[in-house]
Amino acid sequence: MSVRRYHYARDVEEALSLLEAYEGRGAILAGGMDLSRGMAPEIEGLIDITTAGLSGISWANGDLRIGATTTLEEVRLSDEVRGYLGGFLAEVMAHVATLPLRCMATLGGAVVSAHPWADVPTALVALGAEARWRTGEKTEKAPIEELYRRPFRAIFRRSVLTEIRLPRWEGAFAFEKVSRNAGDIALINCACGLGLDDTGKIAWARVVVGATPYRAERLAAVEALLAGETPAEGLWEEAARKAEAEARVGDDMRAPAEWRRAVVPVIVRRALERAANAVMGDER
Amino acid sequence: MKIVGKSVRKVDGIALATGQPVFTLDAVPPGAAVGKILRSPYAHAEIVRIDTSRAEELPGVLCILHHGNVPRIPYTTAGQGWPEPSPYDSFLFDRKVRFVGDRVAAVAAISEEIADEALRLIEVEYRELPAVLDPAEATAPGAPVIHDEEDARGIHDPEHNVAAAIDIRVGDIVRGFAESDVVVETTCVFPYVQHVPLEPHCVVAYLDEEDRLVIRSATQVPFHVRRIVARALGLPLSRIRVIKPRIGGGFGTKQEIVLEDVAAALALRVRKPVVMKYTRAEEFVAARTRHPMKVRVVLGAKKDGKIHAIEMDVLSNTGAYGTHSLTVLSNVGSKTLPLYNKAPHLWFHGKAVYTNLPVAGAYRGYGATQGYFALEVAVDELAEKLGMDPLELRLKNHIRAGETSPIFEKIGEGRAGKAQVVRSCALEECIREGARRIGWEEKRGKRIREGNWIHGVGMALSMQGSGITDIDMAAATVVMNEDGTFRLLVGATDLGTGSDTILAQIAAEALGVPVEAISVYSSDTDFTPFDTGAYASSTTYVSGGAVLRAAREVRRQILEVAAAILEEPPEELDLEGGHVVSRKSGKRVPLSEVGHRAMYVTDQRHIIATASFVAPESPPPFAAFFAEVAVDTETGVVRGGKFVAAADCGTPINPALAEGQLEGAIVQGIGHTLYEELRFSPRGRVRNPNLFDYRIPTAADVPDVEVVLIPSDEPTGPYGAKSIGEIGINGPAPAIANAIHDAIGVRLYRIPFTPERVLRAIRAKSSA
Repeated sequence: MSVRRYHYARDVEEALSLLEAYEGRGAILAGGMDLSRGMAPEIEGLIDITTAGLSGISWANGDLRIGATTTLEEVRLSDEVRGYLGGFLAEVMAHVATLPLRCMATLGGAVVSAHPWADVPTALVALGAEARWRTGEKTEKAPIEELYRRPFRAIFRRSVLTEIRLPRWEGAFAFEKVSRNAGDIALINCACGLGLDDTGKIAWARVVVGATPYRAERLAAVEALLAGETPAEGLWEEAARKAEAEARVGDDMRAPAEWRRAVVPVIVRRALERAANAVMGDER
Repeated sequence: MKIVGKSVRKVDGIALATGQPVFTLDAVPPGAAVGKILRSPYAHAEIVRIDTSRAEELPGVLCILHHGNVPRIPYTTAGQGWPEPSPYDSFLFDRKVRFVGDRVAAVAAISEEIADEALRLIEVEYRELPAVLDPAEATAPGAPVIHDEEDARGIHDPEHNVAAAIDIRVGDIVRGFAESDVVVETTCVFPYVQHVPLEPHCVVAYLDEEDRLVIRSATQVPFHVRRIVARALGLPLSRIRVIKPRIGGGFGTKQEIVLEDVAAALALRVRKPVVMKYTRAEEFVAARTRHPMKVRVVLGAKKDGKIHAIEMDVLSNTGAYGTHSLTVLSNVGSKTLPLYNKAPHLWFHGKAVYTNLPVAGAYRGYGATQGYFALEVAVDELAEKLGMDPLELRLKNHIRAGETSPIFEKIGEGRAGKAQVVRSCALEECIREGARRIGWEEKRGKRIREGNWIHGVGMALSMQGSGITDIDMAAATVVMNEDGTFRLLVGATDLGTGSDTILAQIAAEALGVPVEAISVYSSDTDFTPFDTGAYASSTTYVSGGAVLRAAREVRRQILEVAAAILEEPPEELDLEGGHVVSRKSGKRVPLSEVGHRAMYVTDQRHIIATASFVAPESPPPFAAFFAEVAVDTETGVVRGGKFVAAADCGTPINPALAEGQLEGAIVQGIGHTLYEELRFSPRGRVRNPNLFDYRIPTAADVPDVEVVLIPSDEPTGPYGAKSIGEIGINGPAPAIANAIHDAIGVRLYRIPFTPERVLRAIRAKSSA
């Protein structure tokens, strides 16, 4: 390890100027989860942004805003998050790693690291979450789904992620995950959401699978299949079959593509059923 | 009994819980150099050239050892008794490397960073050789020969990569199967799994003021370390002292000399203290693993369910070196076949073969675990074929007190065994109690559905041993202080099991004092008497036997002194509550007075005794295991619901500690049953040498584990005790396999039962 200096950034500006000064040899540290698993040898300076005022959860202008350095456990325990979509995001957090790690890991870190096997990106892509970050003087923003289609790792080498914004949804979401044991990463995961219109038909649907072993991806064809339909048991099965055909799956050391292909429809169906039950429960 | 049978507090509990500096690396001498090992990047290669000049020029590098500058002495790293049953196929450093991670060289430097940098600067030219990674291919004609060195000794058939082989016949197996009404054949596969002790291997080696080599090591076998390091380095035994502090878990991997020899060689060369420790990755790759095995069992039975013939055929993979290869192989049969002792026809045969993969060694269960997986799945299949309740089938066939098995005599520790009658056995009660607690009658075959989950129950039996007959020897010294307290010096090694506590309880019981009156010290080859060490489920039985003898001798000496004080014959006197009490007159004298008088006043002597105990036989503990699982048939996920183990360990000296041993072993067994497996690249590199990718059970994964001890009285054991350390790990794999079958009608023969394997088996069955 070649780290020589450790900086506590007082604010985002200081973090950015330090990052710039290191010319690629500095690294942002929040929870430190990924840095502790291995750091690029050229890193000389660590810039701790947990002191930069980026933690906190609040509602503003119809969005639930979560500061980048808010820990996953803070997210899980927050009243705002528990009240958001029936506690969907809080439930997702309970699936992530173990309590000691959740007390260190930050939501921003999970977004920036964007491990393909992670649970947070799957949930945030499904929720249509938006990321906000600072590059130099500029504040930029993009939906996380779109961000992941860009060279986001390069962006965050010279930027500081500041906030995640979650939109309001009229409907419900559900999360499914299969892992080897408690506290493990996903062998596959999935987040689905549904909303109904006044006539009881599906107004919108969100279907995302992750850890396939690729990063979370929306299954647009499945969402299209569901939109405008009336919830029914056969419909979930039909959507599941479509998901099986549409999802991109692959092999890794943890599970083969064959198993993932077989399990995609199962978890999509289960998540849709649970989301539908929650929506209709609300209606009732 | 006043002390035995009570769950007294662990004697080292407070020190451990308050973080006292009790472990090996808590006491590193100032100025110690750091030792590091350069490891082979190839599975099989010859070292053509090694150039250490650039590394040696690095400031802070003190010395570099490799095959070119150390003596070449063949030895085994297996910490076993004498004569050593494992082949001498290892060298401090060799001209050849035999697995990815094998030793190439070692560096001592003034810091870890410099040592790491020095490793990078060592230039090694390898000539890569063809490697063999599949044990089934290792013995094929034309397979690369892994141990072609001429000076290795004791390899069964080096040309065919066979480290060890066994062939034991009882009766006539062909006739046995011919006479059977039903025959089933089952083959089970056990993968590479590692012990994952909390504390990796670590050692400090230094020269004392008299130039003797002191090795402070986290070892289960301090006396074997002394003997083996003496051999490996060509030193007189008298020049070596081994100190064993507290150990952070061993499970068998610390029955191996994996660092002490190198640290000692470095310390001798640089004449400074040297500290070495394995990283977690090294622990996975270059410590030891369980022997991966393929075990084929064929059972023949009569229509009424009487097992008539058993064949067990074993292919064991010992990896690159043959440590414990013969004895683990032997135990696959010797610890399992006597359980079904009614069968007159037995054939137990197998091989332990070399491959260019990590080295297998001792691991809790020691072959029995692999054997029981196959045997108890086979018994379940036999019950299915016979249309019998597997519980009834087992009750009909299992060994009872007063019975024997020819296997006891046929298979010993790398040699013939010794005839033995089972003197204590509460297995039948274990089976009935376990069945009651799991709800066997109510749940079996019901396939209860709960959401996506289908429930099933399965069972398995097991026995183990208590020490190694006629080989395991322990000695203990009991010393009386003048204030009436005692010191207990044992060579036995408490590796977290609580053996110091139960040995203190045995002494306290014999001496009529509370445990607090006994200070236990273990172990130091200079100051504690010999003990073969903590393995083979030996400590309670063998070391406990020695402690009891020594305590009884001290008791005799105390009564002799007290008799003079009380003017009564010693036969009339008892030890009780820290006093000597006369049964006849009721007169009493405190132990402090006895001690004071003996030491300072009259007929002066030190009340002290050392006694030895050799395992005269190896009384088996018994256990019945019951698993309830739930299977998600759409994803293949298996969830443990409940696990019940009912075990007979004779008299539990400390029930809480005995239960802890059982619970810990069960959780470790659930680990290999559901999650654990080392994975390899096509070139033999371990792909998951970390706890992120190699999963072990967490507290959140542990199902509702219920353990119950059903006492028996073992006449040869201290206060009726037998062992409990290993047996618990034999149950989970077969019990869970059988429970999965009960739930979904699918048999699984390869652990771990991952979602992928379970789902594949479900789909294969439904498409068949």
